[in-house]
Formats: sequence, C-alpha cells, structure tokens
Amino acid sequence: MALHLNLLHEEILEQRQRQRDPLKIGMMVLGALGAVMILYYMWNAYKTLEIRNRLNVVQADWKKVEPKVTAAQKRSAELNSIIGTTKVLDGMIGSRFFWAPFLEKLSRCVALNAQITSVDGTVEDTKSVSVMIEGLASGREPRAAAEELRQLLLEQLGQSYHDVKVEFKTLEDLDTLVSIGGANTSMARFALSVTFTPSGNATKAPAPSAPARAPRK
Amino acid sequence: MKKLNLTKDQIQKLALSSIGFVVLLYVYFSFFLGPLTRSRDSMLVSITDLQEKVGNSKNEMTKATNLEKQATAGTKRFAALKALNPEGAPIAWFPPRMKAFFANQQIDKATARLENSIPFKEADLAGWMQYNWTLDLPQTDFALLGNAVAALENAEPLLSIHHLNIHSVPDDPQFQQATLNVATSMLKR
Repeated sequence: MALHLNLLHEEILEQRQRQRDPLKIGMMVLGALGAVMILYYMWNAYKTLEIRNRLNVVQADWKKVEPKVTAAQKRSAELNSIIGTTKVLDGMIGSRFFWAPFLEKLSRCVALNAQITSVDGTVEDTKSVSVMIEGLASGREPRAAAEELRQLLLEQLGQSYHDVKVEFKTLEDLDTLVSIGGANTSMARFALSVTFTPSGNATKAPAPSAPARAPRK
Repeated sequence: MKKLNLTKDQIQKLALSSIGFVVLLYVYFSFFLGPLTRSRDSMLVSITDLQEKVGNSKNEMTKATNLEKQATAGTKRFAALKALNPEGAPIAWFPPRMKAFFANQQIDKATARLENSIPFKEADLAGWMQYNWTLDLPQTDFALLGNAVAALENAEPLLSIHHLNIHSVPDDPQFQQATLNVATSMLKR
C-alpha cells in the first residue's frame, strides 16, 4: 500500500470552507431566484401591456359608440316620458264626464207642464255625479206632473248611466195659480236629487237636440 | 447522512441570507408584482365592462329605433295636446279664448276667472299643471248653452267641467245664467 501524504491539507480545508460559505451560497440562491423573479415579472409586464393595448382598443370603440348610445338612451327616456304623459292625459280625457248628453236627456224629460228653474251638478271625486234640480210643475195634479218628470228622468238616465237615483228632496204645493192655455191650474214646487255613476267608456258629447222648455212667465 | 456542522459565523451568514430572502420576496410581491397584477385585474374589469357596454349599446340603439317607430302615434298625440297650449301664461290666453269661444256659440258676456292652479300628483305629469277656472255666462239660453257645452267638451279635450250651475234669470225667465267650474291641464310655462 502506497503512502499518501497530503501536505496541502490546511489549504484544501480552507478552500472547502470557502466553497461551503452559507452567505455565498445564499447570495447565489438569491441571485438565481431574483433572475427567475425578474423573468416572471417581465412576462407579467408583457401580458399587462398586451391587456392595456386591448383596453385601448375597446375604449376607442366605446368612444365611437358612446355619443350614439347616450343620444339613444336620452331619446328613449324622452319617448317613454311622452308615452307615459300621453297615457295619463288620455286616461284623464277618457274619464271625463260629459255634461252635454246629460243636459240633452234633461231637456227631453221636461214636459209642457213642468219648468226647471235651477240645475246644480257636481262631479264628485269618486267620479259619481250628483245633480240638484229645482223646478215647478203645474196641472190639475201638479204633484203627479212632478212625479212624471222624476220617472222620466230615472228612465232616461238609466239608459246611459249606472246606479241612477232620482229622489224628491222637496215637493210642495203652491198657492199661486198659473194660466196655461186659458185655464187656471195649480202649481207645485219640487227639488229633485239626482245621483248616478257615468259609464266607463266616455263618448263624444253630442249637442242637445231638443231645447229645454223655456220658463214660463 | 453527513451531519452539517455549522460554525457561529456560518449560522449568522445563513440567518442574514434568510432575512435577505424574505426582504426580496416582500419587495418583489409588494412593489413589483402586486401593483402589476392589480393594474392588470382592473384593466380586465374595465375591458369586460366596456365590452358589455358596447354589446348593450347595440341593443339600446335597436330598442330606441323600435320605440321611435312604436311611439309615432304617441308623439303625434302628445304634440297635438301640447299644441292646445299656446305660448304664454294661461291667464293671458285662456279667458280671451273662452270669451271668443262662447261668442261663436252666440253666448255673449262670457267671463273666465282663474281660481287656482295646482301641480299634478302623477309623476308622468311633472311638466303639467291643473288650472281651475270659473266660467260665468250671465245670459244664455238652455239650448245654446247645451250646444256650447257639447262643443266645448269636444273642442277642449284637456278641459273637464266638474261643477255646473244653471238657473233662470228672475227678471227675464226666458234666459238662464250659467256658471261652469272647469279644470284644465296645461303645460307649465
């Protein structure tokens, strides 16, 4: 067996210790890691730049479209508002109560022996209509003439309106005599309370065809 | 396995390297990769939003075009209703208009008084006001009045008579006096 003498033992040990230096190894590891991280960062930065380019393209597209869209949205809102307003106004127009047909019916109901002196009508908030009619009736039986008017009104109004009620508020004989066709007849004063609900569908108001009888002197 | 014998100096260097490693990671993620990732994410969100907006914009424009076609009748009707309201304050033009209207119906001396004006409760009528007027017809005939009321109700769709009073004139029973309380819908001026 050959004798092997290592005369550089200490130098080799020192070299080995330098090679095993943890700081040096750590620095190398950190350097390698840093290089990987930089590469990863650059890859990410490249991706981000790509996304930024895409964003710029999309933003440019949107800038082209945006004025048109804003105008379209504004016009849509305007049109919706117009449609809504027209609908509400049409509803109000459609739900109006027309007085002319009522006056026409009233004029048709007044016979020669009756006279209307006052008509006072109101459309209530509930859309029902209440009318107070005052007048005079004459004849051999003036109360019967007044009742005839009430019946006729009930019948005529019932043809066009719902829930029609025609009631006497007052009906009293008067002492005054009136001359009709040369004959003296007695008179009665009446007040009729008329209530009814107009039909849902409003129609155009026709003009009264027959005028109410002119009050007598 | 060979046991790793570290000297005190080596342990210190190892600790220093570890601290350096942690600092490097912190700096890297907090100051480099983090902001980049956040910026990228926000850009992606913006892209998605904008693409959605661009996609919806086509629908919006199609809807507006369709609505324009559908609303033709509505806009014409609205224009017609608006045309019933001349420029200027209603108190300036409504009474003369009523006077002229009743004069055309052979009813003279008609007067219109403004009672009040109130805004509508409906949100759709924010641009409109309700004006309440009293129309006095001191001398008329029932038939003429009936015709005039019919013509008024047909000519003025935005007008509604909510109270009507007709009574005979005591001195001249041939004639009647009439008072109409009317409400009109008018554009705010």
